[in-house]
Amino acid sequence: MSTQTNQTRDHTFSRSATPPPAPTAPSAPRAAWAIVAKREILAKLFDKSFLIGTVLTVVIIAGFMVVQAFMQDRTQTYNLVASGSDVSYAKTLGELVTKVDDKVVVDVRSAATADAARAEVLDGSADAWLHKDGDDWTLTAATEVPDGLNAAASTVVRQSMITSNAEKAGTTVAAIEQGATLKSGILKGDADKQGFAKVMGFVLAFLFYMASIAFGMQLAGSVVEEKASRIVEIIATKIPVRQLLIGKILGNLLMAVAQMVLYTGIGLIGLSFTQYKSYLPSVGAGVGWFLAFFLVGFLVIACAWAVAGALASRTEDLQQTAMPLTMLMMAMWFSVFLAKGVVLTVLSFVPPFSAILMPIRILEGTAAWWEPVVALLLLIVLAGFIVRGAERLYRRSLLQTQGKLSLKQAWSAPE
Amino acid sequence: MIEIQGLTRRFGDITAVDDVSFSVHDGHMTGFVGGNGAGKTTTMRMAMGLLGIDAGRVLWNGRPITDADRRRTGYMPEERGLYPKQKIVDQLTYLGELSGMSASTARAAIMEHLERFGLADRADDRVEKLSLGNQQRVQIIAALMTQPDALILDEPFSGLDPTAVDSMADLLREHTARGIPVLFSSHQLDLVERLCDHLVVLAKGRVVADGTVDQLRNRGPERYRLVLGSDAGWVRDVPGIHAVDVDGARAVIELTGELPGADQALLRAAMSRGEVKEFARIIAPLSEIYREVTA
Repeated sequence: MSTQTNQTRDHTFSRSATPPPAPTAPSAPRAAWAIVAKREILAKLFDKSFLIGTVLTVVIIAGFMVVQAFMQDRTQTYNLVASGSDVSYAKTLGELVTKVDDKVVVDVRSAATADAARAEVLDGSADAWLHKDGDDWTLTAATEVPDGLNAAASTVVRQSMITSNAEKAGTTVAAIEQGATLKSGILKGDADKQGFAKVMGFVLAFLFYMASIAFGMQLAGSVVEEKASRIVEIIATKIPVRQLLIGKILGNLLMAVAQMVLYTGIGLIGLSFTQYKSYLPSVGAGVGWFLAFFLVGFLVIACAWAVAGALASRTEDLQQTAMPLTMLMMAMWFSVFLAKGVVLTVLSFVPPFSAILMPIRILEGTAAWWEPVVALLLLIVLAGFIVRGAERLYRRSLLQTQGKLSLKQAWSAPE
Repeated sequence: MIEIQGLTRRFGDITAVDDVSFSVHDGHMTGFVGGNGAGKTTTMRMAMGLLGIDAGRVLWNGRPITDADRRRTGYMPEERGLYPKQKIVDQLTYLGELSGMSASTARAAIMEHLERFGLADRADDRVEKLSLGNQQRVQIIAALMTQPDALILDEPFSGLDPTAVDSMADLLREHTARGIPVLFSSHQLDLVERLCDHLVVLAKGRVVADGTVDQLRNRGPERYRLVLGSDAGWVRDVPGIHAVDVDGARAVIELTGELPGADQALLRAAMSRGEVKEFARIIAPLSEIYREVTA
């Protein structure tokens, strides 16, 4: 071993021979949790799979919005062929169709004979052939009658035939139809908006579920990794374990909320380019509530995941210690589809279900102003208990290395 | 000085550490020796506050140790672990910051230590890319870079090649030269013998020997080997002497301690009877003493 070692050693000795340097003896860092949180955030920002996942989700949301905006402005033109005396009716139908559905335009072609018309459909120069079959007008296509054309044409044929039949009978359509239609209506919100809100609610619930699982699994994984590698023992001699937990939770919470703000922000911006932009104010408020519920709900879930990690001693144990939590996540996700009526109303107050169900009710417009306030307060109360309980469980199980622990063992474990 | 007083820890029915007491003196390197399951790691974890204490206490300069004292103690756990995916320098900076160092102070100390271990050019590598020996060096840097007030190291030498053992030993000596107490556990008795001022031997959770290497060697009666030119059977009747083994002209004897100067009296008697080929004090190797005390 070389001179280099000796030189370094001499250097060190000469240093220790001089009066001792001002004590570098470190004192407790003022905000250890902030140092831990910073590491968690940086670890995420440099994690390729996290970055790729985020970018991919943004692209999917933005892409969906672009497709929506594009589809709404597109008109579909159909070529309709008719022969002989049917041509004049086909032309009338072509004009009326666009009045029924402004996205459908019909070009009428006339063919010399029925056979020629059939041939045009078969060779693709016409989308469908309109002809009279007995008393009924018939639309014939090569393999499938296009939906858009079929729907609009049916309405036109029905209306025109009823009108002419009424005239023949010496009455009017209005007289025949009087009192014959069943109108439907809803008292809360409006129907179109509610359909839209339902879809929006599913999307938000899905994002909530995905974030809880993805961030949660990673958080639990990193807790058990620290535990299994015993680096947690080095950390625990430097800072209180509570600070480690707070730092890990806050780091992940910040990243999860930032990611969710990014997703919903892009969704809302995209929405302003679609036909649904009139819903923007009410949807925006709903999303705002969703983010508030996500913030508190994720705090609860992240604490639970951290405990699941601390109960395990090795990564292999994690699946078992996290089992109750994965079941709860599944139950929350299924409640989005299954909870209806009174059950939905009740569950939308029960934490942690409220975190996912109340925002859906707000979007649907079925929640009175005070309902989300109460639900959020209840969730915050639960979060208070969970954070305290998790802190105790985490602290007591983190340094236990003899296999995995049950909740009960961890709760009563000596420190 | 770190004083361990009557430390006891039970796991269920098993008493892993049973009334263990010893001191780690300032400027002294104390070796902590014992077989697997003897309770070394449990004792060290209790001293570092990582494990609850059933009975006993740990003193720091005469008063109960606090979290602040522990924060100023460099600790290396037995199982080697760091964040595998993080860069070495970032990881050590993180641990330094948690110890209360500023990022820049930590970085300077880290680079100095990395240079010393010949790892400076790998500062930006991920930990998982290092060999196990190098990972261990990184971990010892984590314990030393804060210029701690004490060191508690669990098996710091295991898995190191002889060159690395030497440079690690040099490094530890520098810290005892600063006047801080150093406690390390090891299975390698020759190493402990070479490095340590003080030795604590643990067996089945109890301290079975505690002292300097010389004290341990001298703990039993003094033994001598005597080789004569003729039959040595007569040594059995010399007062103050216990003949452990007599085989022809060779004898191994112990001084009973009842009669001062019995060794010299024996030598004179032997010389008066004829030729004395050898008369020598038997100094047992540490390994033999270790086997004896832990048996």
